[in-house]
Amino acid sequence: MSAATEIAQVELAAIVGAARVVADPAACAAFAVDGQAPQCVVYPTSPDEVAAVLRCAAARDLAVIPCRNATKLGVGNPPRRYDVALSLKDLNRVWHYEPADLTITAEPGMKLGDFQHFVARDGLWLPLDPPGGARASLGGIVATNAAGPLRLAYGAPRDIVLGMKIATTEGKIVKTGGRVVKNVTGYDVGKLLIGSYGTLGVIVEISFKLFPLPPQRATFVIAAGTLGVARDLRQRILQSPLSPARMVLLDRCAAQQAGATAAEHTWTGPEIWLEVMGSARLIERCRRELGELAGPAGAYARGVDAASAENVWARATNFHPWVADAARSAVIVKATMPDSALEELVSRAEQEAEAESAEIAVFAQLGVGIVHLCILTQLGAPALLGLIQRLRASAEGLGGALIVEHCPPEIKQHIDVWGEAGDSLELMKKLKAVWDPQGILAPGRFLGRL
Amino acid sequence: MLYEYDALSCLKQPEAVVFPTTTADVVAVVKLAAREKLPLVPRGAGTGLSGGSVVSEGGIVLGFARMKKILEIDLENLRARVQPGVVNMDLTLAVSDHGLYFAPDPSSQKACTIGGNVAENAGGPHTLANGVTTNHVLGAEVVLPDGQVLRTGGKFWDRPGYDLTGFLVGSEGTLGIVTEVTVRLTRKAEAVKTLLAIFDRILDAPRTVAAITSRRVTPAALEMMDGFTLRAVEDAFHAGFPMDCAAILLLEVEGAREEVEEHADEMEAVCRENGAREVRRAKSAEERELLWRSRKSAFGALGRISPNYYVQDGVIPRTRLPEMLEFIEQVSSKYGLRIGNIFHAGDGNLHPLLMFDARDASQVERVKKAAADIMAKCVEMGGALTGEHGVGIEKRDLMPLIFSPDDLELMHKLKAVFNPSGTLNPGKVLPAGRVCGELRIEAGLGGIL
Repeated sequence: MSAATEIAQVELAAIVGAARVVADPAACAAFAVDGQAPQCVVYPTSPDEVAAVLRCAAARDLAVIPCRNATKLGVGNPPRRYDVALSLKDLNRVWHYEPADLTITAEPGMKLGDFQHFVARDGLWLPLDPPGGARASLGGIVATNAAGPLRLAYGAPRDIVLGMKIATTEGKIVKTGGRVVKNVTGYDVGKLLIGSYGTLGVIVEISFKLFPLPPQRATFVIAAGTLGVARDLRQRILQSPLSPARMVLLDRCAAQQAGATAAEHTWTGPEIWLEVMGSARLIERCRRELGELAGPAGAYARGVDAASAENVWARATNFHPWVADAARSAVIVKATMPDSALEELVSRAEQEAEAESAEIAVFAQLGVGIVHLCILTQLGAPALLGLIQRLRASAEGLGGALIVEHCPPEIKQHIDVWGEAGDSLELMKKLKAVWDPQGILAPGRFLGRL
Repeated sequence: MLYEYDALSCLKQPEAVVFPTTTADVVAVVKLAAREKLPLVPRGAGTGLSGGSVVSEGGIVLGFARMKKILEIDLENLRARVQPGVVNMDLTLAVSDHGLYFAPDPSSQKACTIGGNVAENAGGPHTLANGVTTNHVLGAEVVLPDGQVLRTGGKFWDRPGYDLTGFLVGSEGTLGIVTEVTVRLTRKAEAVKTLLAIFDRILDAPRTVAAITSRRVTPAALEMMDGFTLRAVEDAFHAGFPMDCAAILLLEVEGAREEVEEHADEMEAVCRENGAREVRRAKSAEERELLWRSRKSAFGALGRISPNYYVQDGVIPRTRLPEMLEFIEQVSSKYGLRIGNIFHAGDGNLHPLLMFDARDASQVERVKKAAADIMAKCVEMGGALTGEHGVGIEKRDLMPLIFSPDDLELMHKLKAVFNPSGTLNPGKVLPAGRVCGELRIEAGLGGIL
């Protein structure tokens, strides 16, 4: 550890207290990003402390990566440098909860599971099913604009966040938006922060729009048999008045991993899982009409009991951890594209995987235009890189883009996980420079290695 | 000279008005303006209400009346790509046969343009359930003040990088000139029910709104008009509103047919529990259309009974609507001004209309003070200065009521990234100095002061 870093640690301890600056190697290893561990972990307890920590880091030129439960910490290019892990776990309070207004203001370290539990007593929820599931923190969800298949009905964090407070590298706390549900006062600065992966500032307070919990919900599965039938059914279901809240397409491997292949039917090809939220009569109608839609297409639809459904949704929306557990070398890529191209991308991906004799699991969010492909077979680096590049080319050829969300650090040496930056990069660099002129926040990790 | 006005006013004559037909035209004009150091003011239909397209320092007006092509309609992906001059309602009409529409529906939707909607992040009565313009815009082509053309976002979500599209929406033409917009189209609900709830005591109406908000059903729209406004509207449209009531709520629920009936029953029950003397349901599409036409033309109806009116656009938490309505009544008596109340009540967005005669200087002064009091109350209640009309010139100098000097300095710096010389739509959104100034109602008043 350098002398400068040691001085900085003393200064950081003066801000948050000595016990809240942890330099123990084991503790630091838990915050490692792509194999790089920080020199210390800092645990501020208030927005003001976060701002002071950032000011100190800027003064000492220490690279900082903000974090809570690390559910999405692996997303991004390897950090150019990394000195301080800024843990937001102790910023976990709720301010201004107004259930009658359907608004709430909370701190970023609160876990989604705890948050949902807190508002559920008033019959409310935050309709997000992001990667990380209940362990994902509010700050992490917003900083990565993390949404799951529920985006079909409710949108993403960018649609649900009303306002924020942000600690800057200058040591200030700035505000954007507010606590009311409609607001065009000033520039929508929050939009820049949402999905910025901690590269502009540190979110220290977030106001959300809340939604009433649906009275009832029911999950159905349709064994589509082929991707062609799946495509036809996707279109017909989305055009129908049934309005599923979420809908995913799983391939055999994904269905198995999610525990979705029920004993009572044998696997016949891609499955569409969908959840409908609303009244008992609406759910009854879905049961009837999904059967009518599926039958003529040669597919088969059935209802799923609540407990199995819950389990499948939990695993199918939050597959990163168990994919990583299943295979340490697993690679997860996220392709985003027009909805119409989803099945085509899945088909190409399956062919590419087969050519490499690789097993992949496919989770496609229908109506949202997002496909996650998990490469489960360990491949040699050249084969894996080739496969990723071909998948990216497929996605781009279909009018989309592809991000590598999870892969071994050595692979990241050879690719940019975000893909080509495009001609907006110069503007993005200038925006980054406004917030973080020294480049101390997650340096090198974002698009264009910002 | 017609282009001196928006729905509003003119501060200084432009040197020229240019009507580009292509992005290349826009680039050429932008480069010329940069060379000559002339301000550039983009303009859609001029229906804005905060002075966003008002020429404040001379220069060139870029009118988008001739860039009104719908470039692409992608039915399977529910997207459309349009030029900025496309009229909001024309896009909805173009996709209507496919059961689709463009969700943001400002009252001026028969005239206002998508480019203007993007600039102001426009709302409308039906944004309660569906969200405002920013929730429906995925991509843009934008010309920066140096003539560079950028594409932001696209047809699909989550393009890697900062959300430049989201930052551009609502920037009131001060960051770049949008020359193409990719929007999301929304599928029409299978069924819709429109209810008219009639109240004899004015405060029962906002109490009902608060009660509805906390229920499990989110209405598609939830509008309130007070009796005074209603009578003006009824005189103009003969929609069958009762002339003797204190307030009405216009409620709409939509969705699958099984649910809509249940939800309408639930809404009706809440209205009755909270003092509605009568709840009517529109029996036909024509009846529904008439109710909405009356609501969307209410400002004009008030124009018939007062020489001038000034419309405010504040937002407060929905539960505080009753308190706010009482406050506005106090303001009305304090300054001796008639104030009509039209609210997008479901999302706490107020549109009090202050009636006056511009020929009377004392009335004008009182309108300024009354409007400032209402704004201050919105801020005190934890609300916002504007919900959908924008800051423009009108509220620029009030920004320090909401934002700290640090917040504003950051906005200035972010603006400078896009518009370093400040020649693009100068004098809008951000205050020049740090001191909190006055509401500039002349920017919101059709050039009458």
